[in-house]
Amino acid sequence: MFTYVFRRSTQSMAAVVALLVLVFFLARLTGDPAYLYLPLDSTEAQRQAFNELNGFDDPIYIQFFRYLGDLAQLDFGTALSRNRPAMEVTLEAFPETLKLATIAMALALFAAAVVGSLAAARPGGVFDRLATTISLAGASAPDFWVAIVAILVFAVSLGLLPTSGTGSALHWIMPIGVLMLRPFGLLTQVVRGSMMGVLSQPYIKTARAKGVARRRIIFVHALRNALLPVITVAGDLMASLVNGAVVVETIFGWPGIGKLMIDAIVRRDFALIQSTVLVTAVAIFVMNIVIDLIYAAVDPRIRHQQT
Amino acid sequence: MDKAEGASGPKPKRPAGPLRLVFRDPLAACAVVFLIFIALCALVGPVVIGDLATTPNFRARNLAPFDASMGPAYFLGADTLGRSLAARLVVGAQNTLGIAAAAVMCSLFLGGTLGLVAGYARGIGSTLILRLADVIMSFPSLLLALIVLYSLGPSIPNLILVLAITRIPIYLRTMRAEVLEVRERMFVGAATALGASHARIVFRHIAPVVIPTMLTIGAIDFATVVLAESSLSFLGLGIQSPEFTWGSMVATGRGYLSTAWWVAFWPGLMILLTTLSLNILSSWWRTYADPHQRWRLELPRRLRRRIQK
Amino acid sequence: MTFSLMRGSAIAALVAGAGSFGGAALAQDVTIVLPEQPANLEPCRSIRSDIGRVINMNITETLTIIQPDTGEVTPHLATEWEQVDDTTWRFKIREGVEFQDGAPLNAEAVVNSINRLMNPDLTCDSRSKFGDVELTPEAVDEYTVEIKSDIPMPIMPTLAGTIQVVSPNMPFDEEVNDPVGTGPYTLAEADNEHIVLQRDDGYWGDEPAVETATYLWRNESAIRAAMVETGEADLTPTIAVQDATNPETDFAYLNSESTRMRIDMSIPPLDDERVRRALNMAIDWDGMGEALFGPDVLRATQMVVPGVRGHNSDIEPYTYDPEQAKALIEEAKADGVPVDTEITLIGRNGFFPNSSESLEAMQALWSEIGLNIAIEELEANDWVRYLDKPFPEGRGPTLFQQQHDNNTGDAGFTVPVMYHSEGQYSTVANEELDQIIEEAMAATGDERGELFQQAFAKVYEDIVGDVTMYHMIGYVRVGDRLDWKPDLKTNSEIRLADIKFN
Repeated sequence: MFTYVFRRSTQSMAAVVALLVLVFFLARLTGDPAYLYLPLDSTEAQRQAFNELNGFDDPIYIQFFRYLGDLAQLDFGTALSRNRPAMEVTLEAFPETLKLATIAMALALFAAAVVGSLAAARPGGVFDRLATTISLAGASAPDFWVAIVAILVFAVSLGLLPTSGTGSALHWIMPIGVLMLRPFGLLTQVVRGSMMGVLSQPYIKTARAKGVARRRIIFVHALRNALLPVITVAGDLMASLVNGAVVVETIFGWPGIGKLMIDAIVRRDFALIQSTVLVTAVAIFVMNIVIDLIYAAVDPRIRHQQT
Repeated sequence: MDKAEGASGPKPKRPAGPLRLVFRDPLAACAVVFLIFIALCALVGPVVIGDLATTPNFRARNLAPFDASMGPAYFLGADTLGRSLAARLVVGAQNTLGIAAAAVMCSLFLGGTLGLVAGYARGIGSTLILRLADVIMSFPSLLLALIVLYSLGPSIPNLILVLAITRIPIYLRTMRAEVLEVRERMFVGAATALGASHARIVFRHIAPVVIPTMLTIGAIDFATVVLAESSLSFLGLGIQSPEFTWGSMVATGRGYLSTAWWVAFWPGLMILLTTLSLNILSSWWRTYADPHQRWRLELPRRLRRRIQK
Repeated sequence: MTFSLMRGSAIAALVAGAGSFGGAALAQDVTIVLPEQPANLEPCRSIRSDIGRVINMNITETLTIIQPDTGEVTPHLATEWEQVDDTTWRFKIREGVEFQDGAPLNAEAVVNSINRLMNPDLTCDSRSKFGDVELTPEAVDEYTVEIKSDIPMPIMPTLAGTIQVVSPNMPFDEEVNDPVGTGPYTLAEADNEHIVLQRDDGYWGDEPAVETATYLWRNESAIRAAMVETGEADLTPTIAVQDATNPETDFAYLNSESTRMRIDMSIPPLDDERVRRALNMAIDWDGMGEALFGPDVLRATQMVVPGVRGHNSDIEPYTYDPEQAKALIEEAKADGVPVDTEITLIGRNGFFPNSSESLEAMQALWSEIGLNIAIEELEANDWVRYLDKPFPEGRGPTLFQQQHDNNTGDAGFTVPVMYHSEGQYSTVANEELDQIIEEAMAATGDERGELFQQAFAKVYEDIVGDVTMYHMIGYVRVGDRLDWKPDLKTNSEIRLADIKFN
């Protein structure tokens, strides 16, 4: 167990380093940052001075070694657009996204487990049809579209919720609702499929024959085994939430890391791009390891053959 | 196709093919009909009504739907430049479906191959491939989109490239997990014991079991790709004018949701219906491909209900 | 009725539990929702609108003020000024003014501010207005500053309107996010969600009505509009034309941006004057303008807005005449001009609201007169490759989408760079025009204005160097608590002191 975690961690660290190298070089393929930092009517000499000041005029490998040297001293550079240390800005934003994504994911998982199981109990029934169609429809609409419509309806027409921003508990409702739509839709399908498989297993049939209540069979006997594939999918979805709450954050003015990253990308704030990538990557890798461990805990067969 | 059929059904004269079965299920049937319809739109539409979708007509600016004053082409209304939305939907179908299909096929092929290798080979190669998947997964797709947009220029193939790369890990991991499981099954063990070559094991034994799963995921992923493409448009990193897709139509129309809702509504509805149809079909297919569940599709409805009770 | 009553009380209960939705609770507080988060709050970069809208004239102030409607320069932190010789200007500094940190405003502080702006170790966006000029400021006595430049600067008082005067205690070699100036407000809070400005009781001028101002930011215009509608915010400086639906709260203003398609005059078929004229005549200017930019948009004949010194209001715009345009193209074709060559329309994605729609509309209209137009919409940093000289090699004939902002009140920030043969963005090379521009740049007062007017007329009527499009319109939404109107400068500064309560 310990050796497994250790091995995975070292591998993941290698992967993080590979990722950072990739991001470092690729990000610098996107043009001269001086044009975006300085006003368009700046002179050539001013742009030149800017690039010299920030070391962008050095050959790229020199910039890279300088970056490595700084990294070794845990210096993640200055976010040029913000006049602040890149890591400081990143670590301010990351928890906001993590909170949002975790709550959305937990709710989606819970709702999907209930709805998906009930749907699987009677495949093809009215509830199944309804649940499948509605959950899939929620997962099939562009999220920014849903978000704007929700604001126009719930905040402007009905006046029930604040339009956007953070603060009270009410501010969380719409961002979480929009963010969980897609995970909920997909997970419901996964739970339903997996549950249908489990329910046709012999031991369930035995339990049923013994007269165990239907609800008890589903939620006590079957659900635990049906959750295995769900965990994998949920893990991937969570990773994409941590990485991809950009749209929701942009619309609702949520001060998270997704919005920070897109701003950094558009402004070519290299240090900020690198630090946001680093933080999200580490988070995703940690999560992957945790998921593998959960997986092993739930399914004894896997425990001994981890790669 | 699959010979291990459910034993519990009444004996049909011959096994019903998927096409006959699909039409017994009203929801799945609707999905099939709808998908065929939009595929036809994508193929023939642009040839028939190309101009109507691109020529501005300021008199019809933001024309409301179901308004007969400008003729039948405008029954779904018009956008900011007064272009018929119906025509744009039909023409946009080609880019939307084409981009998503190409992206899904690329990532399915690449991810599937890598996953197969990772699952079958194990050892250092497998680890490397898995960590590569991790790297791809944590590489921000927006940055990738920007890099491609800047260094390779705005074009449809480049957009496909971005979308395909970001989806590779899904196929890779699923494929690997499936292969690992199948490998452990008895028949592969038996085949190995009998001295079958690797190629034979992969193509004769593993592939037939794994490919249906991959195709199902592909169908669901199609939806994801259409939506991802739309999100890229929302952030300004997606398809660039004058090309357009349903996704970019929603993205540009979003500004009009409170004044001219139809500009973003129709393309949004098309995305929703398309992805919903694909999801319904893939869920139907899962049932069909599963020998334990297939009887549900083969039985007449009344009988099915009685058996379940 | 009963329903809404019930709903009301339910909300009241919720709100009581959770606190209000934010926004203006107190009578003298305002909430302003901006389109983007200010990247930082460094005064020497405040020419950027995201920064300037928050700090300009609120936290930091300038020596002079450029009046938006006339271009006239009026005193502010400087009470008077005079030109000593060609390269020297003398400013008298207002006495009895203190910075928010208690430091006195004097000649030394002004010298320090100018030197800080010019400090090569800082990235100061506002420096761009001075080009490569070298400034040597010098304190003559406690309240007199002389600014010397290495080349003549006839519009120094105008430029002084862009220099934010900052406290001498602010770090000289470091960019900051906590500006200290002489303005009526101090920075109270700033994080990733909001910025709060607090009224400073020690302000030297009249006490403004607004006590605290909270700035929020939302990218979507529809949401900013909704926030003012629901009372979560009191003011948003920019909403899209389609959101400006309520004449009671939504006001249009010229935002000092002008748009054009630059014509690459050196490459056939665009080197033919008839083709260029046809380009101008083939666009349904009124239809397109109203459809995409709103009924208040102003047709442009030159790249500065009315009121700027040098604006020529006598220029007659080309009228929409597709038949005549088609005839011009055919005439050119008959003379062997390769009008069938594909012309690339280069745009920039997300440039301004409806910018890509305008490209598509123009493409369609130009195709109708027989030209072969292809759109290429580029990412900002890709687009920029075509902006400056040297233009990319082997580019073929291009029409280049450009938006230009001149809120300095002087055409000298527009004409040379766009139309002089050596101008950074210029595709025009005309000796006569060059001469007019050079004379204008050396002139002052009315003569300067007249020379720029000549230059604009020559470019538009004789040379046909570009397809000028519109003077763009912005829309603000102002909640009914406030009494405030936008002006030409609203894009770059929102003076809290101008906001009154109803």
